[in-house]
Amino acid sequence: MRSTEKSAIRRKCSTVIWSVVRFFILFGLSFVILYPLIYMVSCAFRTPEDMNDPTVIWLPKHLTLDVIRETMEVMNYWKTLCTTFLLNVGCAAVQVLSCAVTGYGFARFRFKGKGLLFGIVILMILVPSQIISIPQYMIFRYFGPFNLINNPLCMYLPAAMGCGIKSGLMIFIFRQFFRGLPTELEDAAYLDGCGPFRTFLSVCAPNARSAFLTVFLFSVVWYWNDFYVSSTFFDKNQTIALSLKNLNILLSQKLFGGAEVSLREQIVWLEAGCFLSVFPILIMYIFLQKYFTQGIERSGLAG
Amino acid sequence: MKISFQKRKNLYGYGFVSVWFIGALIFFIIPLVQSFIYSFYDLRLDAGGMMGEFAGLDKYNYALNEDPNYRSYLVNVLRATLWKTPLIMIFSLFIALLLCQKFRGRTAARAAFFLPVIIATGPVFNIISGNMATTGNGGADRFSTTFSVDLVEELMELLGINSISYQLAVWFETAANDIFSVVWSAGIQILMFMAALQNIPVSAKEAAQIEGATEWEYFWKVTLPSVSPMILACFIFTVIDSFTDPSNQVMRRIADLQMDWKYGEASAMAWIYFAIVMAAVGIITAVINKFVYYEVE
Repeated sequence: MRSTEKSAIRRKCSTVIWSVVRFFILFGLSFVILYPLIYMVSCAFRTPEDMNDPTVIWLPKHLTLDVIRETMEVMNYWKTLCTTFLLNVGCAAVQVLSCAVTGYGFARFRFKGKGLLFGIVILMILVPSQIISIPQYMIFRYFGPFNLINNPLCMYLPAAMGCGIKSGLMIFIFRQFFRGLPTELEDAAYLDGCGPFRTFLSVCAPNARSAFLTVFLFSVVWYWNDFYVSSTFFDKNQTIALSLKNLNILLSQKLFGGAEVSLREQIVWLEAGCFLSVFPILIMYIFLQKYFTQGIERSGLAG
Repeated sequence: MKISFQKRKNLYGYGFVSVWFIGALIFFIIPLVQSFIYSFYDLRLDAGGMMGEFAGLDKYNYALNEDPNYRSYLVNVLRATLWKTPLIMIFSLFIALLLCQKFRGRTAARAAFFLPVIIATGPVFNIISGNMATTGNGGADRFSTTFSVDLVEELMELLGINSISYQLAVWFETAANDIFSVVWSAGIQILMFMAALQNIPVSAKEAAQIEGATEWEYFWKVTLPSVSPMILACFIFTVIDSFTDPSNQVMRRIADLQMDWKYGEASAMAWIYFAIVMAAVGIITAVINKFVYYEVE
């Protein structure tokens, strides 16, 4: 009796200690993750003078929206945001659809050469876009009689055909997901006389809602943050990521009138730019966070 | 002609993958082959396309022996990946284990840990970490200034690392200084490990408890083997992610050369790099595969 009591107490003690330790670990690491974001927000709303005030670490003495406003002007924010939405979010949506169809094809049908084709998918995951960007540029530059450079089509075409940014990974995720779905529903649909395409549209796709949402979110994020591919195909600052990448050049051109300004003095504007470009995604994340963290668990990434 | 339903159905498979296949042919396979060919040519841009003369292995020779920085960049990137990959893997597995436990505030903790997935890949990350470095806020120093103690030093004192060897102390310090980049590049890996952990059947846990296994034994005998396929996937993802990061030195060098229209050189560099990456991934995959436990389908 005694010993069981003792061991029960000991077990209880160890759970309490563990939860305290766990709290500190998680809290500390969350702090590491959130630190730059807090820093970003704190910098974006202070006057440039506060940057040089040694007594100011977190809470700025002079709160101001001027920096945000100036940065928005420099980045041509609203127009850039519109282009980004049209280009990146649109591409992301189109890409999810094409990858889902392809992934379903790989998951459910047995056909000759499937192994080889799937090898191409794996290769797409492995090959960095830097290797193929020049020939891709050439393809779009001399696309038949057309010059598609600076045209949204050179982002949309690959996305629509399942060859956009990280689409190899997305095809892979969809394949794993559809393989995990039970086949009974589809068999029933076949018995009722649906063709494979109709079965996919009306039976499988609705069941895959969480996977669609998760992959769509990933896709939006990857397109939103991409600057390499878009800087290859566009030579004007058109998307948020591109204008952020060139923000220090833009700042010295438009705000400082070409004068040399050290990085240290630019910080408030740079951080404001970061804040502006993260903000829309952050809002999306806050609203869809639940689906984002749950969807991936059900999306069959663990295959 | 009559073919069975099953066969006819499988023919539809071509229909499902055909759009992607045509796309992959135009936007992936052809560019891939072309860039390989480019790496053997002296290229210039003419009206109507790329013109060039065959240059043999000159471009490879240039990349390896003449370019002043390429080789040192290559070594740097390889070394950074070498020590960062295992660190990221262990870290993300550990965090995934923690986040899978039940406790209050779990949703908030998860939300915080997945945040890097959203931000870390873009230019935002570069700007933020660059700015923090210029204001002396980068790395682990920043916590020390926040709490006005040298935390890393204290911790090393506590663990007795300083007395073991100087080399280890230096290594520990670099790791601690880079904790920011490790934490920030572990987002997707944490997601993947969590997905794998949630797939472990509850019955396995019950059986282990009835047999009297401790948590420690359970981790080594059940958890680790069950997530081992995911360890492989995570490993490949981490390596590829770190190698193809547009902000690493080799990638930047390649991009700079492309800006200067030196396509032959850029392609040669990219292919040397890619060959090394593939060889590394291939070898380590083969090794890890020996230890991976696959549940029979």
